[in-house]
Amino acid sequence: MTISQDHEYTDDQNITTNRDSILEVNNLTKIYPDGTIAVEDITFEIAAGDFCVLIGPSGCGKSTTLHSLVGRFPVTEGEILLDGEDITDVETYKRDIGLVFQDFQLFPHLSVVENIEYGLSQINIKEEERESRIDEMIEVMGLEGMRGRLPEELSAGQKQRVALARSLVLEPKLLLLDEPLGDMDYKLQKRMERELMRIHRNMDTTFVYVTHDQTQAMRLGDQLVVMNDGKIEHSGTTDEVYNYPATAFVSTFVGDSNLFSGELVSISEDGTCANVDTPLGSFTCGTKNLDSPPKNLIGESIPFSVRPQYIEIGGHHENVLSCRVKDVIHQAGSGTQVIVDADRPGLPPMELQAKSHKQLTIDTDTVNITWKPENATLLERASVLPDIDLEKDILGE
Amino acid sequence: MSTPDVMVESLGVSFRNEQVLQDINFAVEDGEFCVIVGPSGCGKSTLLQSIAGLTTPDSGSVYIEGQNATKMSTQERNLGYVFQEFEDTLFPHMTVGENVAFGVRQQPEEVDEEELQKRIDELLEMLAIKHTKSDSPSELSGGQQQRVELARQLIREADTMLLDDPLADLDYKLQKRMELEIRSVQDDLGSTFIYITHNQDQALKLADKVIVMNRGQIEQIGTPNEVYYEPATAFVGRFVGDSNALSGSLLDVDEDQVTIDTEMGPIVATNMNDATVDESGVLLIRPGEVKVGQAAADCENTYDVSALGSSYMGEQTEIAFDVEGYDGEFYTIRPGKVAFEEYDESVRIGFDPDAAQFFSKLSTTNTVSNNDILKL
Repeated sequence: MTISQDHEYTDDQNITTNRDSILEVNNLTKIYPDGTIAVEDITFEIAAGDFCVLIGPSGCGKSTTLHSLVGRFPVTEGEILLDGEDITDVETYKRDIGLVFQDFQLFPHLSVVENIEYGLSQINIKEEERESRIDEMIEVMGLEGMRGRLPEELSAGQKQRVALARSLVLEPKLLLLDEPLGDMDYKLQKRMERELMRIHRNMDTTFVYVTHDQTQAMRLGDQLVVMNDGKIEHSGTTDEVYNYPATAFVSTFVGDSNLFSGELVSISEDGTCANVDTPLGSFTCGTKNLDSPPKNLIGESIPFSVRPQYIEIGGHHENVLSCRVKDVIHQAGSGTQVIVDADRPGLPPMELQAKSHKQLTIDTDTVNITWKPENATLLERASVLPDIDLEKDILGE
Repeated sequence: MSTPDVMVESLGVSFRNEQVLQDINFAVEDGEFCVIVGPSGCGKSTLLQSIAGLTTPDSGSVYIEGQNATKMSTQERNLGYVFQEFEDTLFPHMTVGENVAFGVRQQPEEVDEEELQKRIDELLEMLAIKHTKSDSPSELSGGQQQRVELARQLIREADTMLLDDPLADLDYKLQKRMELEIRSVQDDLGSTFIYITHNQDQALKLADKVIVMNRGQIEQIGTPNEVYYEPATAFVGRFVGDSNALSGSLLDVDEDQVTIDTEMGPIVATNMNDATVDESGVLLIRPGEVKVGQAAADCENTYDVSALGSSYMGEQTEIAFDVEGYDGEFYTIRPGKVAFEEYDESVRIGFDPDAAQFFSKLSTTNTVSNNDILKL
């Protein structure tokens, strides 16, 4: 087995996988009867067997997208292909898609086995086949010894497993999960996330999961579809979305980011880095996340982002900034978070964050923070939405 | 020694003959940020209500600034209180700004209107709801209303603030931001904060002092580092922070190290409760301290295992392994990105004795079993 552990990224990680896609959504638009445009012309695909997470702030259209896949309402425009077949106008129950809700919605008067069996009794399969599928579900979900229990006699974790089993026993091509861990205690939520990943690994089914919680999305997803105001900001692997975000919105919404803005002054001859003049000074940034070096933007205002984990207190990297220490937060087991202020002429100070997985001791009032050019990600635009203001809408200044 | 700001002595509370809190003792010093953490139903909300005077205890006393307050009314105790159920506390006919100003105007002292408005603006801005100042509470989202309630309590600058999971309903981004704001507000005001949450991550980040509760009793009182690195019981170790857990019994004691007989074979571990030979208990191994590949070679406990899957989370990677004898998946967390080219092949993992903590004492309550800890 080969293991690589580093903060450097090689080009091959940007190559899209050529696995077969199980779901294709093309130019989907949903306008509700009251005129609200919930989703506007979105296109994405999901590879077979992946764990895909639709994520975005509330009202971004992720739930509408999910409901369109289920067929809860007719879509306004666009098409949905499941395993190559156009299902846009197919009725919900013929779609071969399972759905798990936030509160699981088990039948309260039916036992564990009866809950799992319910959907099977609606389709035409042989008795033996039915028995063997149920037995397999009971085993995968670890529900042995609970066959006869009623939902009220189960813990939250067990209920989730019954809800999953009830959908998966029908062997759907796609399982949709609508914020199923929303209301749980922190500890239970973490345990259930692991449980979900374990179950996904043991099944061939493709999972599509909706959440507004970006930590959960990063943890669960192979692929993320980041949505904002009815549009897709970025669709890609967790690595692509985290390290090579398409827009400033994505870099701040998924993971923590320090977002800078300044004038693009020049691009190196080989096109791998760019110089940006900001009110805090001049910095060098990587361009790897962009399709091509943005020569057309020279002289224009452009944002770039640096993840707190890539900022070193002290250090000897090319980009250096002198800051005042505002707060140092040691968190047992997860290292140190440092909040600093950087002064800008004629503007209020800018707050920046650094994070180290080691315990840092800082005993001075001012520090130099430094970072590598390749860890500063040049962003072509603030958002896919045309009218977003970087300072006001994304940074909240 | 100065007088503690809040002191709770031998407190017991029961509802309908069911003991909800039992023999609770602790003190919170002036200016301290104390976080009470525990699973749902552990009694933490009842404890906060007892301090506020909203629940009458069966036994024991509550002291506020050295005075026995057990029989005082809520008003007499003069505490700030941010409820979790906040919907009914805002005045619907007043704007957000007027709601925040209300408590201050009720005070007998003369109010400097300009000063008051400035303070309200600062607070609303800090809580990211300044644009709602002239709105009616009914126009706000749940999370916004909760922040108005927070502002209303903060503006009173009470010496002691009780907060009942005030960030629970906020979305992730806002929660992270508010955690930092609450820390700095507490620092600026110099007030004593008693804060309850079910989120141990938040507890470790915010607290000077953490009180871990379980089934109506206190499991441990300590600094965040103490409860994380030196948990008093298996419950605390398992509840605070992340762990792989397995049952075991003590085979051998060698000064500060012990050998534990487990389903994974003998494991060299740290003896957390002075356990003796043949004593049984729970062994906890922190995923963040399990090493992989070359780095594992020199560890005291090593295993050749196969990886089942991994998830890259940006700051770190979590890897699930299949370890012989371990029931379930064994987790490792490494900083940065760890990429596997293939699964199912053999890889070495390892950990040192200080990363494996053996507890013969499961909990302060005697109703907790090994299985309860493993399932936590």
